[in-house]
Amino acid sequence: MRKFLAVVKREYLQRVRSKMFLVFTILGPLMLAFFGVLPPLIMGMKTGESTRIAIVDETGRLYPRVYKSIMTGHGETAETNAQGKGALNPGAESRTQKGAGVGEEDYSVEEVRLDGRSIEEVKRGLSERVRRNQLDAFIILPRNILQTGKAEYYGRNTGDIFTRGRIADYLSRAVREQRLADEHIDESRVRALSSPVEFQTQKITETGEESDAGAGFYVVFGVGFIIYISILLYGQVMLAAVIEEKETRIAEILFSSIRSFPLMMGKLIGVSLVALTQLSIWGLAFGAFAIYGVAALAARGVPVQLPHVSAIIYIYFLLFFLMGYFIYATIYALVGSMVTTTQEGGQVALPVIVLLVIGFYLAFPVIRSPNSPLAFWASMFPFFSPITMLVRIVAQTPPLWQILLSLGIGAATIVLLIWIASRIYRVGMLMYGKRASIPEVLRWVRQA
Amino acid sequence: MQFLAKAQSKILKLAKMTLNRALNLLMKTFELRRSYKPARSKTFNLPMKQNFVMQNNDYTLKLENVTKSFDEFVAVSNLSMGVRRARIFGLLGPNGAGKTTSIRMIVNITRPDSGRIELFGQEMNVDLQDRIGYLPEERGLYKKMKIGEQLRFFGELKDMSGRVLDQTVDLWLEKLKLSEWKNKKAMELSKGMQQKIQFIAAVMHDPDLIILDEPFAGLDPINVDLLKEQVLDLKGKGKTIIFSTHQMEVAEKICDDICLINRSRKVLSGSLREVKASFGRNSVALRVEGGDDVLEDRSLVTKIETHSDEIEVLLAEGASAQGLLKRLIDAGATIMKFEMVEPSLHDIFVEEVGRSNS
Repeated sequence: MRKFLAVVKREYLQRVRSKMFLVFTILGPLMLAFFGVLPPLIMGMKTGESTRIAIVDETGRLYPRVYKSIMTGHGETAETNAQGKGALNPGAESRTQKGAGVGEEDYSVEEVRLDGRSIEEVKRGLSERVRRNQLDAFIILPRNILQTGKAEYYGRNTGDIFTRGRIADYLSRAVREQRLADEHIDESRVRALSSPVEFQTQKITETGEESDAGAGFYVVFGVGFIIYISILLYGQVMLAAVIEEKETRIAEILFSSIRSFPLMMGKLIGVSLVALTQLSIWGLAFGAFAIYGVAALAARGVPVQLPHVSAIIYIYFLLFFLMGYFIYATIYALVGSMVTTTQEGGQVALPVIVLLVIGFYLAFPVIRSPNSPLAFWASMFPFFSPITMLVRIVAQTPPLWQILLSLGIGAATIVLLIWIASRIYRVGMLMYGKRASIPEVLRWVRQA
Repeated sequence: MQFLAKAQSKILKLAKMTLNRALNLLMKTFELRRSYKPARSKTFNLPMKQNFVMQNNDYTLKLENVTKSFDEFVAVSNLSMGVRRARIFGLLGPNGAGKTTSIRMIVNITRPDSGRIELFGQEMNVDLQDRIGYLPEERGLYKKMKIGEQLRFFGELKDMSGRVLDQTVDLWLEKLKLSEWKNKKAMELSKGMQQKIQFIAAVMHDPDLIILDEPFAGLDPINVDLLKEQVLDLKGKGKTIIFSTHQMEVAEKICDDICLINRSRKVLSGSLREVKASFGRNSVALRVEGGDDVLEDRSLVTKIETHSDEIEVLLAEGASAQGLLKRLIDAGATIMKFEMVEPSLHDIFVEEVGRSNS
């Protein structure tokens, strides 16, 4: 036991005291923020100038509605925001972001009248203006648009799917309102009739009804994502830790003092403690930041409702996160025991990520039918269970025995993998300089 | 400024390394020429006397018919040997003879396929590992770990702890003149220094059986002497030492008993003196002026080997060294050196390995 603790201590202290750890602990969240925020920023980026659109209205009566629809397109959500004070829920919040977040849309719309000219003539004129960059696009609303629902879009940049899609939305709204108006439905009723649907999700559990806006599902994905990130970050560290003694040729000294199982277990625990230290520093920093942010918002009179998830589920999150982390870290240890250099290990370990990704995708069928046989088996299979079992717990909590069984299988897998890894490591150590083939590995597990 | 200081220390390191290498080279040529003198130490006599009576059956380690093979390849075949307490046992043999495999079985890294290993009178088991100190030929240090911490770690792996461990680390660093390096990282040390650290790691937990695989390889003469002194000191304290090497010159100077293995089999074993006696050759080392006629007498001398400043003559059957000496003096030759030559371990090694290969 003392020897095992010595290994744990060494692995932990050597890493935590290194400069790399300090640098990474500080830079990690910055990088994460960078990669999290940058892509949508870039994607939503536009030139900054307003999009100039000309509209040819052959019906002669649709233009005012279209104009209003386009110009109030993002104003409307702002309005909802103002109205929604006091009843702001996560769903609406994310919708606002969607409306305004992806690029500040800004349109200048003009109407082009036919004034006796033929439609072809007008098109030519407008095309010329587009070519001369006086205009970005023009739309022709044909006479029968209310029946066919078809309009024509001419633009220099038809690849800009964002603008096109959004304008199509605005047009649809205008056309829909016009159709309703044509049926002699009152303006104010039109607005009332065309208001969108929003779910107030109620989850039925054994204890009664609980409000849950699906936030739990996002938290599960959050946990899956954290497992994924920590495996990406620490898989390599685990790999390096196992290979270290091979590369520095210390293995033989160690094996004259300690058996390979406590050695491998010590390494796993030591490196994992480093990972958990780093994650909890990040977690605390993020938590502090979030609390500060919520407090700041509350001070400005914007109440923020945190996703409502019951306490027991947080405990499951922690348990399954730990299990998921350990299972994947152990696979890396196993890979490390088979190879001789870190580079080689990196290549062999690549397919490991695939397992994790499969687990992610399995979450979708599982959440649709959380009690299906597929869901059951997926949540028992140790490489998928950290994600799939969590999904089941959130979607429709399975019986306790299933949860415990899943945890048990996971724990047994960890121990078994470490045991195999330690055997392979010990035999492999005796022959430096070559990677083990699969039949060799199997033989090593049996002997030694 | 900092850059200059760095460059300076780099140059110094480089200079040190070159110096070390030069010394090593010098040492090798030097050693080859030095004639055999038995090593003596003050602490040598006392325990030897104590153990004298029971020496013949006081075995620290016994191997009985030990065999180990990897797939088709037989690494160690039917090896039996006994290592006596408080003696230095030389496990000799060419590269690939099976030395390392034998040692790995002795330290319980691998298990024999068949046969028996008995250590301190017990069947080999895991607990016995803490009473063994092992300096493998394949050895290294954690590059980025400080020397002091590193030794503490190795000590903990041998079940040491607390202040005793701290004191032991300090004591050994002082003994091997490395105290000032305690807080340096291993990568900052020269190879020779690293080797001394590895030596400390092997002996710091006061093991009763110490196994050293090529402990002097690549060391300069000063450090070789330093380590040799420590080894003899440990032997004086009643520790049993297994010393594996293929450098016969070193083995000859330090071993009490030897076991020579070749191609996985034992070729010969016994105390160094017995082995040498059984290989007694009738030859004389000579430095002489004149008397050429005498040396050419085939009834007296059958073969002359010329070395740099002396000759070695092989006496003919029936001729005695005394007779040769008398004839030389009678012939008026000036004799500067006249010494009966024992066969060197090197010669025995070459002869025996050659014979078992054919």
